[in-house]
Amino acid sequence: MTSRQQGRRAVVTGLGVVAPNGVGADAFWKATRQGVSVLDRISREGCTDMPLKIAGEVRDFDPHSVIDSRFLVQTDRFTHYAMAAADLAVADAGFRPDPEQPYAVGVVTAAGSGGGEFGQRELQQLWGQGPRFVGPYQSIAWFYAASTGQISIRGGYKGPCGVVASDEAGGLDALAHAARSVERGTDAVVVGAAEAPLAPYSMVCQLGYPELSLSDRPETAYLPFTAQACGFAPAEGGAMLLLEDEQAARRRGADVRAHLAGHGATFTGASRWKESREGLAAAIRTALDEARIAPEEIDVVFADALGVPSADRAEALALADALGPVAERVPVTAPKSGTGRAYCGAPVLDVTAAVLAMEDGVLPPTPNVTEVCHDLALVTGRARPAELRTALVLSRGLMGSNSALVLRRGERP
Amino acid sequence: MSHNLSYPELAALLQARAGVTVTPDDLEKPGAQFDEFGVDSLGLLGVVGELENRHGLKVTSGAESAKTPAEFLELVNGSLSAKAGA
Repeated sequence: MTSRQQGRRAVVTGLGVVAPNGVGADAFWKATRQGVSVLDRISREGCTDMPLKIAGEVRDFDPHSVIDSRFLVQTDRFTHYAMAAADLAVADAGFRPDPEQPYAVGVVTAAGSGGGEFGQRELQQLWGQGPRFVGPYQSIAWFYAASTGQISIRGGYKGPCGVVASDEAGGLDALAHAARSVERGTDAVVVGAAEAPLAPYSMVCQLGYPELSLSDRPETAYLPFTAQACGFAPAEGGAMLLLEDEQAARRRGADVRAHLAGHGATFTGASRWKESREGLAAAIRTALDEARIAPEEIDVVFADALGVPSADRAEALALADALGPVAERVPVTAPKSGTGRAYCGAPVLDVTAAVLAMEDGVLPPTPNVTEVCHDLALVTGRARPAELRTALVLSRGLMGSNSALVLRRGERP
Repeated sequence: MSHNLSYPELAALLQARAGVTVTPDDLEKPGAQFDEFGVDSLGLLGVVGELENRHGLKVTSGAESAKTPAEFLELVNGSLSAKAGA
């Protein structure tokens, strides 16, 4: 086994966002800061007559304007988002890969469901017309690995590539995986997750989740940490980041935006929210230990905020278990109540928001939420100024994964 | 009556099935390779599938691995005329 090389540290140098509340880090952060809620009735064709009514749709995005049609015909919407977000992250970092060093750049994505819309279309061809009418790109487009593969091919990134399939929390696990690649010697990794769960087949798959909110009112469909919590609204989109070795980043004069200081992951079983308390607390402790920080040093928590009463309670208790008295006073926020949960993309959007919050010195609020029924200092209403050096991002998946990631603000030269 | 696949038709099929924009003239240039247009074997397989469905025939296997447009047309048109002659 290779292990961590002396002096190498994974830092964030670029942010790429394709989210319901904005495409590009600037638009996303502006809306997140303002606490704008973009949850709305689902408008996609074939999706309007289902029990699931409210979600966060990515509406300001035209894939044809940013991605070559050669890649569009081969890929599902979830990969369109990921490829666009990857381009944005690389551009945001001002990163120009050295064509002589193709193995210095890797790609890692997390995926929760793959390309349901593409898959449905081809399976309808199979069922309606026969196997000869199924296009060959079905063999790649609907798989979890599609986004990693296409980003790698488009960018010529031939370094370590991977796909993490560990539930929603996989968004954080992917970042940790990429950080390990950097520590082991890869100069840069394009990493993150984007999802496209708003297509008929994909929506039907989600209807089996007891945690899904079936509310038909955008303003009350997803109210985590409140007495009115009735489940979560899903979302599409996500974020990709550029992680680099700190020294490599500094050598090329890049801004070190944040560094990934610690990560922990546990598993406690599907929909076993009571048990997730222990698992999430253990993940938080592991992440703090790796980051070598005390609970007092955490300046903000980006919560998982599932919006299911038992899960919200477990998360509040996990924070109390892992952080002690700090848990009652540390600011906690959940911007995703205004966009919905983009499955694996959700925690990566939270990491992006955390980096921007630390840079801006602002705590973004939790949209739509006013009265909190747990012992948490949830940021509601308006954004608040705050000196932020360290952020803790939490994520849990419906199938039982729990993850915690500690980010520390980059030092400006 | 037999029908031969032409360069303009191939260009249209590549656009529709492989998302690749290429002019018939470029396809017809001596020495033109699919590689240089970004057409891979999955893209060609999509074109083969479309031709087979459209004409109700089996295109000679291996056509999807053709390296050049000229070679591809020869294989496809061989299959088309074999059908016409049958």
